[in-house]
Amino acid sequence: MHVDKQKHTFEPKIIAFVCTWCTYAGADLAGTSRMQYPSNVRVLKFPCTGRIDPVFILKAFQQGADGILVSGCHPGDCHYIAGNYHARRRFAAFRKLLEFIGVDLNRIQFSWVSAAEGGKWVEVVTDLTEKVRAMGPMVEFKDLVLEEQWSGGLNNPELQAVYEAM
Amino acid sequence: MIQTIDISSYSAITDAIRSEARRILSDSTVSAVIGYTAGRRVGTTQPIVITTADEADKLLFSAGCLNDLVVYLTKAKKDVPKSGRIGIVVKGCDLKALVGLLGESQLKRENLYLIGIPCSGVLGSLLKPSAELTSETIASKCCECTDQLPLGCDFIPAVTPAPLPDLEKRYATEIARLEAMTPSERWEFWKEQFSKCIKCYACRQVCPFCFCEQCLCDRNRPQMVEQTPRPSGNTAWHLVRAMHLAGRCAGCGECERVCPMDIPLNLLNRKMAKELKELFNSEAGFEVRDTGPLTSYREDDDQSFIR
Repeated sequence: MHVDKQKHTFEPKIIAFVCTWCTYAGADLAGTSRMQYPSNVRVLKFPCTGRIDPVFILKAFQQGADGILVSGCHPGDCHYIAGNYHARRRFAAFRKLLEFIGVDLNRIQFSWVSAAEGGKWVEVVTDLTEKVRAMGPMVEFKDLVLEEQWSGGLNNPELQAVYEAM
Repeated sequence: MIQTIDISSYSAITDAIRSEARRILSDSTVSAVIGYTAGRRVGTTQPIVITTADEADKLLFSAGCLNDLVVYLTKAKKDVPKSGRIGIVVKGCDLKALVGLLGESQLKRENLYLIGIPCSGVLGSLLKPSAELTSETIASKCCECTDQLPLGCDFIPAVTPAPLPDLEKRYATEIARLEAMTPSERWEFWKEQFSKCIKCYACRQVCPFCFCEQCLCDRNRPQMVEQTPRPSGNTAWHLVRAMHLAGRCAGCGECERVCPMDIPLNLLNRKMAKELKELFNSEAGFEVRDTGPLTSYREDDDQSFIR
């Protein structure tokens, strides 16, 4: 079964932070079941969603991610009893912070995908990829990384004049 | 209209602190008292640690007592003697930070002797230290203060703080203004603010809750936050800082006061406090809690944002 590959002008980079016990196994099931899903997704395996620090998401954005997926076990199914409950609270807070800073929350998707839900994994990844593709590249954090302006930069005319007089 | 704020009670509070400090030092209830003393310029104050009853007259309380002294109790600050019980002068906002540290097992209540201040507000900055305390010069945190009278202290001067006049809630107004913007406008706002940062880490040094012996942002293998004072690392630092303080910050506003580049740091903290209050009905108070909003959970927490 080969689906014809459609050519797009923009291929988004999606970084998926997944828990090894549920979503990683779910993605594996999708693979062994030969389900098709976009190859835009880069899967990073973590022991638990509770291990996923918000700073990883910032780092991913800085290094060129256009979309982020965080996925783990359904509530109550955590291998470590409560890791996903803690993650749920942490990300509820973190997305409010990102929103306040001015990041479009449509680029970040959270989901529960169990080891048996290969189909749901395909659905989540496909939807996120298409959503982010329509939004275009995430430029905000990348621009910051590329910006060579230091805080002590000569960004005001007064300082510039002093510098030139030296 | 500029309203004057009544701080006539501060001289009575100063007298009460002095006599109480003299008493607890002379009968050896405490080995040291952390308080405020006069600074070099008229109207300014600076923190002081006194260890003998004779020094008690150095203590004072005025509208220039901005510092949150609780930071001297944390393990990040090793200069304060850790032997015996320590007396400390706390305003309501400072006490909330202290209570947070008690909840995080950083301090033991029996090792502390709390001298609470019935506070009517302090100045926003000491640039003009002899300025009168008015609705203009008062610190932003005081405009939204609901805890003028600290609770659960060992000693509180018998003074009732004059109720604050109805002041403009500066943080709430600014948060509402930002929330009404589009995401890209907000991004531009914060980008400009964060680009000012020189990574002096004064906000970290002064924060009672930044007591980690090794900060995540100082590690370089792996390096999670770029350390140079460039826009990318600055943004990451301030986001990580806001996230690590979420659910813990007591709102003492010291980060914002010490920032040499005038970045509105407490705005991020107040926004997170507001969100956590809405999401988990949790906020800093005078009651010691074993767990904070982000270190506990309920099975029925909202998960409408999760697919």
